[in-house]
Amino acid sequence: MQRKLFFVFLIAALAYPLMPLSSDYVLHVMTLIMVYMVLAMGLNIVPGFCGLLDLGYVGFFGIGAYTSGLLTVHYGMSFWLIVPLAAANGAMWGVLLGAPTLRLTGDYFAIVTFGFSELVVLFLTNEIWLTRGPLGLPGIEPVSLDLSFLNPDWFWYFDGEPPYFYLAIFLVAAVYFLLKRVEDSRLGRAWFAIREDPMAAASCGVNILNYKVIAFAISAAIGAVGGSFYARWYLFLSPDMFKFWESFLVLCMVVLGGLGNLRGALFGAVIMVSMGEVLREILPALGLPPEVRFLVYGLLMVLIMRFKPAGFFPAIASSGKTNPMLVALEKRICETHGGASGSDS
Amino acid sequence: MLDQLLPQLVNGLTLGVIYAMIAVGYTMVYGVIELINFAHGEIYMFGAFFCVMFISVFGVPFYLAIVLSMSCCAIMGILLDIVAYRPLRNAPRLAALITAIGMSIFLQNLAMVIWGSRPLPFVQDAVPAYLNETAFSMGEVYLTWLQVFIFAVTIAMMFGLFFIITYTKIGTAMRALAQNKTAAALMGINVNFVISFTFALGSAFGAMAGILVSVYYNTLYPTMGYMAGVKAFAAAVLGGIGSVPGAMLGGLVLGVAEALGAGYVSSLYRDGVAYAVMIAVILFKPSGLLGKSVVDKA
Repeated sequence: MQRKLFFVFLIAALAYPLMPLSSDYVLHVMTLIMVYMVLAMGLNIVPGFCGLLDLGYVGFFGIGAYTSGLLTVHYGMSFWLIVPLAAANGAMWGVLLGAPTLRLTGDYFAIVTFGFSELVVLFLTNEIWLTRGPLGLPGIEPVSLDLSFLNPDWFWYFDGEPPYFYLAIFLVAAVYFLLKRVEDSRLGRAWFAIREDPMAAASCGVNILNYKVIAFAISAAIGAVGGSFYARWYLFLSPDMFKFWESFLVLCMVVLGGLGNLRGALFGAVIMVSMGEVLREILPALGLPPEVRFLVYGLLMVLIMRFKPAGFFPAIASSGKTNPMLVALEKRICETHGGASGSDS
Repeated sequence: MLDQLLPQLVNGLTLGVIYAMIAVGYTMVYGVIELINFAHGEIYMFGAFFCVMFISVFGVPFYLAIVLSMSCCAIMGILLDIVAYRPLRNAPRLAALITAIGMSIFLQNLAMVIWGSRPLPFVQDAVPAYLNETAFSMGEVYLTWLQVFIFAVTIAMMFGLFFIITYTKIGTAMRALAQNKTAAALMGINVNFVISFTFALGSAFGAMAGILVSVYYNTLYPTMGYMAGVKAFAAAVLGGIGSVPGAMLGGLVLGVAEALGAGYVSSLYRDGVAYAVMIAVILFKPSGLLGKSVVDKA
């Protein structure tokens, strides 16, 4: 039933740009939602899968965006070439930052990532020769798809919102598929083991530091991919776009949907971006600056952590209970011990 | 070049004692409950706003307004702990950290709703006039009475804090809690009361710092706690988190490093000094200058 509903929604979304009444604004917001979906899925790896707080995720988003923007402006590179380059650049910084810091406790790690993202913003603001600083980076070429080596007519410019909309859907699907596979792999299981009990994981032969660095690098690469798409879609970059607020927003999405749950991250992105758009309209009407919407977000985070720490799509707590084998085992244990044992506490 | 050194040094020390005041709040709370209280920077900001509000709305004299504002912030700190952190005492650390970030953002935006997002000037009429006069001048260096006041107040408060922690019963309880919470509870220490006291003390120090900064720079705005909080945290890390003398030393070192860095290297990266110091300390000497060696609890 849920599957059917999902496909109905998917087809409706895919068909939306072709409808006669489709509006550019709605398409823009939907594309934005998908950019954040990519970011939320990427961030989810670190706090969700490994249990480490990453407060500087927007730094990698910024690195990816500026990599993409600068390579386009200066070298006119194709988008399809830039995406892997940006991902590699993000991953490189992820390893450089993660390798020395991930051996520290979670609190220190949170602070280092925060400091890193602030340094990225400072760099982007001050190195005017490279980034034009606070003036921003305008005039980025839109994405184009060049298949003229197959057929001389096959060359398309991405004009307007609909092509980006489809590209974003493709991106979200690719990242989702990738992470879904990783989640069930040896790598994913190692991450969950580290999250649940680092000591037990280490004694089972999981190299904690290596797996954490891999997680951080993958997360950074996904952030950079999101950034490279964002640069070629928004066509303008400025250091202000990569402030701490953005990290917080993405973290909100992950927390709202449920830490460690991919579908939760997607859901969180939809809710937070839509809520942002609604509040952006409502707040000025009430005579408040639009930044005040973060008041709501902050409160939301506190309330979720207090009353619903697993988010609205709790994957962590229920995963053991939905596994039929475990359920049967639990039942058997309860029967033999007269129902005295509560196996999950 | 060198004639700039002394004024920069004085400037840096003034900044440094203020960072130290905020940093002791972080470090005490971390020592007792091992939580980075991200909302501490917001308490500092509220301290400045409460003080201005007491003066401009209720017409309270300057010095009394400082005391009232500190008391309000102490209560705020206790409430923050009870409302946000206490329910999560036994939850995973990630949850508490996220709550701390959430509270910080919430309080910052609350201030924006109440007082607007534009910077306000400090109520200059209420500040005693002699504070702006020069106290000492030595060649190029001028020291206003305000700076003397800042130094005097912070040094006095630091000695007071040192006395409380070292010689009073509650200070001993705080240190006991920092060592081992369970053992302290078994010795009959009221854990929650001591934690509340720690929050109150740290918040009062933060409020004082906020007031001093807003008088010194003659401005206050809702996002002022963000930067100051980060820098004070860097100071706490530099000194060794959990160590009160370390936080004081870290604040001074950071303030001077920042002023000299801005004066001699590049003022563009002024704020970057704090981050660079913080990351470098965490990478190379996570226990800080005066801290005990950090046990990895990740």
